[in-house]
Amino acid sequence: MSILLGILEEGLIYAILALGVYITYSILDFPDLSVDSTFPLGSAVTAAMLVAGIPAPAALLVSFLSGVLAGTVTGLIHVKLKVVDLLSGIIVMTGLYSINLQIAGGANLAFFGSSTIFENSLTDPLWASPVGYFTVVIISLAAVVLVKVLLDAYLKTRSGYLLRAAGDNDTLVTSLAKDKGTVKIIGLALANGLVALSGSIYCQKQGFFEISTGTGSMVIGLASVIIGTKLFKRASFMKTTTAVIIGSILYKACIAAAMAVGIFPTSYMKFLTAALFLIILVISNRSKRKGAA
Amino acid sequence: MKKNIIAALMITAMTAAAAGCGGNSQTATSAPDTAAAGSSQSGGESSGAADSENSAVQDGASYTIGIGQYAVHGSLDNCREGFLQGLAEEGIEEGKNLTVLYENANGDGGMGTQIVSNFLSQDVDMVCAIATPMAQTAYGATKRTDIPVIYTAVTDPVIAQLATEDKMPAGNITGTSDKLPVEEQLQMIRQILPDAKTIGIMYSTSEVNSQSTLEEYKEAAPEYGFEIVESGVSTAADIPLAADNLLAQVDCLNNLTDNTVVSSLPIILDKANSKGIPVFGSEIEQVRIGCLASMGLDYIELGKQTGRMAAQVLTGAAEASEMPYEIIEEASFYGNSAAAENLGITLPEELVSSAAQMFDTIGDSNS
Repeated sequence: MSILLGILEEGLIYAILALGVYITYSILDFPDLSVDSTFPLGSAVTAAMLVAGIPAPAALLVSFLSGVLAGTVTGLIHVKLKVVDLLSGIIVMTGLYSINLQIAGGANLAFFGSSTIFENSLTDPLWASPVGYFTVVIISLAAVVLVKVLLDAYLKTRSGYLLRAAGDNDTLVTSLAKDKGTVKIIGLALANGLVALSGSIYCQKQGFFEISTGTGSMVIGLASVIIGTKLFKRASFMKTTTAVIIGSILYKACIAAAMAVGIFPTSYMKFLTAALFLIILVISNRSKRKGAA
Repeated sequence: MKKNIIAALMITAMTAAAAGCGGNSQTATSAPDTAAAGSSQSGGESSGAADSENSAVQDGASYTIGIGQYAVHGSLDNCREGFLQGLAEEGIEEGKNLTVLYENANGDGGMGTQIVSNFLSQDVDMVCAIATPMAQTAYGATKRTDIPVIYTAVTDPVIAQLATEDKMPAGNITGTSDKLPVEEQLQMIRQILPDAKTIGIMYSTSEVNSQSTLEEYKEAAPEYGFEIVESGVSTAADIPLAADNLLAQVDCLNNLTDNTVVSSLPIILDKANSKGIPVFGSEIEQVRIGCLASMGLDYIELGKQTGRMAAQVLTGAAEASEMPYEIIEEASFYGNSAAAENLGITLPEELVSSAAQMFDTIGDSNS
């Protein structure tokens, strides 16, 4: 039972990160590596604010905005300075590492005593209730659903349509007399905002900030997006954002299962992720070829 | 198109099947025999019943401990080894009445979370966390459960918020600290190198323990007539250049227990040796592989001390939430005479005669 609980908690919190990666990777077709540092950015901002006694909801908001800012920088470097997409992300990822250390005042900052979105006077009754065991899942689920609904709504707005057009066919954006560069920047800003938000929620669950948690965030997000979008490609009743969220939970399930089976030492985890990645890509490519024939 | 759906279903099924196995795998992973596996589930409850008994291991009681280690690292490995020895001294032996689940996060904080949640899903009686981030992860994850956490190799449990100023636990968590004997180390360096003025310290900016120890060195150094030159690195890849740069400015180098730097110690030793600059270690393992000397901790001892604490908690003789964290009071001298010979330095007889251990060869860093 508790293995399932762990999967849901982790999967839901990382789903917000996956939604951010979905915007850049799937919609904008932009491999955004800044994610590896914007995830801990959200954690660092949150830890610093909670230690300073600022309420958790404010920390969530500021974390989101800090991610928006970082994403904007990636976008500006790419669009205005004409640096290749991959490199723009790497530049921001590298630079942010130092900034994250500055924000948190070190590599590790604990706030076990502070009230968080999971532990506060409002959630106390929930913890005490019969479903107290699921408190983290319930709160994370609420956050994910809220983010998903808002993102779906945004993608239906004019700005959202332009975002999707910029990835598919950027001449269309230009023909609509819009600057495709601006559209990309908005997309990156929003995506990294979500990633930082995910980092904020993650560290509030953990009770501390640790610089190394950012390592591999991009891959986790990418794996979730690919698992979700490829597995549920034909499920027309399901929105892609929903598929991404399920993808995130499935990814965490795969990792947890591999670990619980105990055949593989944890040092093989990245290899397993890579293998899982490849299998899903190959399966989806094969079916694409068949469809064309 | 249909095939794709079938393939998709197969993957989902495989995942589900794998997850299903996961639930039952406890028996397969490491239980020594079926009897032990059978009673391991009741271990959690029986430890409560053992409250009235004093420290003695009950007949037939068996325990499962999940050991989560933050990184692969000589001293941390020694902690783990010592931990199991300490438990064995108290009659809790792996293979007999103890099942050990061991996972290493390889320095990935995100993986640490998965490791702890995996332990919890396997109904462990206790989590043993090695190094600060692992201890914090374990504390956060077990807060709402009654599973005790024992940590070791946490330099400053107070800053890590695992304990309060008076050394009492923040929750159902206690253990041992590997706070370095900074004053003793400086005194030893002064004894070996009477004319040295500057000490170079390399540390990684991502390790909070290193930063706090560095501050202590900076504070204490003037008293012994030293000046500390620091060099922060972000990754292991920065170390060769940082070492060249640092070696050009200092009379000797001094290591902390920094995971990143210690992992690259052979490179640093190589560069320092070619310049004839002595490198001081912070624990036995570093002296074994070629550091000149150290007033250091014996991590095996630290692990043993931790293991004995764990035994008390497991048998119900004490509650983790009521045990203050412990430190190793005494630092011992470790020296490497082969390294001294290479550098043309004679280690003072006074130190050598009091040494806890002297090495006369430069050991292999892999063993």
